[in-house]
Amino acid sequence: MLEVKDLQIYYGDAQALWDISIRVRPKEICTLVGANGAGKTTLLKAICGLVPVAAGKISLLGKDVKAVPANERVSLGLSMVPEGRKIFTGMTVEENLKIGAYVNKVWNRKEEFLGKNYDLFPRLKERRNQLGGTLSGGERQMLAIARALMSQPDLLFLDEPSLGLSPKFVDHVMEIVRSINDQGVTILLVEQNINIALGVAQRGYVLESGRIVMHDDAGALLANPHIKEAYLGM
Amino acid sequence: MFTLPIMIEQAVNGLVLGSMYALVATGLTLIWGTMKMLNFAHGEFYMLGGFGTYFGLMILGLPPWLVVPIAVFLIFIIAFILEKSIISPLMGKPGWDISTVVATLGAGIFLQNFAFKFWGGDFLNVPYMFDGVLRIWGMAFAWHRLYILALTLVVIITFWQIVKRTRFGLALRATAQDNEAAILMGIPFRRIYTITFGLSASLAALAGSALAPIFSVNPWMGMVPLIKALIVVILGGLGSFTGAILGGFILGLCESFSVLFLSSGWKDLISFSLLIIILVIKPSGLFGAKEW
Repeated sequence: MLEVKDLQIYYGDAQALWDISIRVRPKEICTLVGANGAGKTTLLKAICGLVPVAAGKISLLGKDVKAVPANERVSLGLSMVPEGRKIFTGMTVEENLKIGAYVNKVWNRKEEFLGKNYDLFPRLKERRNQLGGTLSGGERQMLAIARALMSQPDLLFLDEPSLGLSPKFVDHVMEIVRSINDQGVTILLVEQNINIALGVAQRGYVLESGRIVMHDDAGALLANPHIKEAYLGM
Repeated sequence: MFTLPIMIEQAVNGLVLGSMYALVATGLTLIWGTMKMLNFAHGEFYMLGGFGTYFGLMILGLPPWLVVPIAVFLIFIIAFILEKSIISPLMGKPGWDISTVVATLGAGIFLQNFAFKFWGGDFLNVPYMFDGVLRIWGMAFAWHRLYILALTLVVIITFWQIVKRTRFGLALRATAQDNEAAILMGIPFRRIYTITFGLSASLAALAGSALAPIFSVNPWMGMVPLIKALIVVILGGLGSFTGAILGGFILGLCESFSVLFLSSGWKDLISFSLLIIILVIKPSGLFGAKEW
């Protein structure tokens, strides 16, 4: 599905990520965990094409995408729910969703996908004519996820979906993540909250100061002494 | 002197002037909102609109209904090529916010001198596209002025519909609001920039074409509209469409009514005073910078 090999990324002169190799398998929920500032968002952005890659290989659905511009990677089946939602605050909920179906392959079927999304998120249907900027944090997260789904991705990135949400709402979001996965969408979930992430994912990678230090099944990672001590405070 | 008919005539004149300001300022706003840059060659597209109209009507002898759309379309193409060749390579590079200012200033100087070389420095007159005068209740309105008003209204409404309702409009607004998020939606923002630049130039060209019979045509005719449009854009609130349109009409009306009290040489004093007053009492402009 997604294969990243020996990726090196610089921010200006400073190297931000070293020798990153990860693999996301079809239909799974994979997670990338690590502390704030470890480089998780940078890695996602690099795979999306928003951050330049100095060296290494990124292949998406069997295609080498290093030379493909970011906007064209969406047509290949990649969609991202960015950190901080980044919904269009000056557009209505429905316009936000429609713009999610911008790419050619889905634009003509946007009404159909809009309906599907409203079934999944009835709350958004109630608020369809409201401006994005008037939504609550949780509703914005819903909108960001629904918008990312409009392009009918094969691979969905979620960057810190739990950030700023109440624990109860985080559970709700994770249920949604699971149900999206059940419909056949492969998911790469980035989280600071390791407990939540490993609770929903099958496999996980641990990123520390710009390097992948560990990867294993979710259960094994939860039981790992280093993880327990460094991230779970046990 | 201040009879109702004179006031109404003066109001129409102000609205005509205001249409020019509104069209030119809307183009500036479009570029500022989307590309976050100022285009100092904007007045030259206005000038090219004037010259294109002169060339088509006077030299080629074509009818107005053919000349105006062709001139506007050609200027769209010129702006399109200009954006691709000199703006696009700078975008996103370090210092692009300054380098694009220099590049557009340079393009403006080039276009002025191109026009000077090609058409000379004379003030050229273009006849009214619609002859005659509408007489009503003792007032007289030149049909051409009414044409300018109608054209402006149609263009602004059409433009608004494009921004609000079409796929391109959605992509344009998304790019303006959050460029990175727009890219994540698969929007080719570079292409959006190029088309936006072309559309913006077309609006200026249309204003230049419509006003060519009222002001004469010369290579430097773009300077005043550019400066006035900058006033309008600041007056209305940088980045606000409503502000650009209403601000344009407000400035046009103020200037036109000031002629009733002062000689027309004081017109610029009025507009700059208005600008200073607005900046003092409401620095964000009349309508703030609302997202569109």
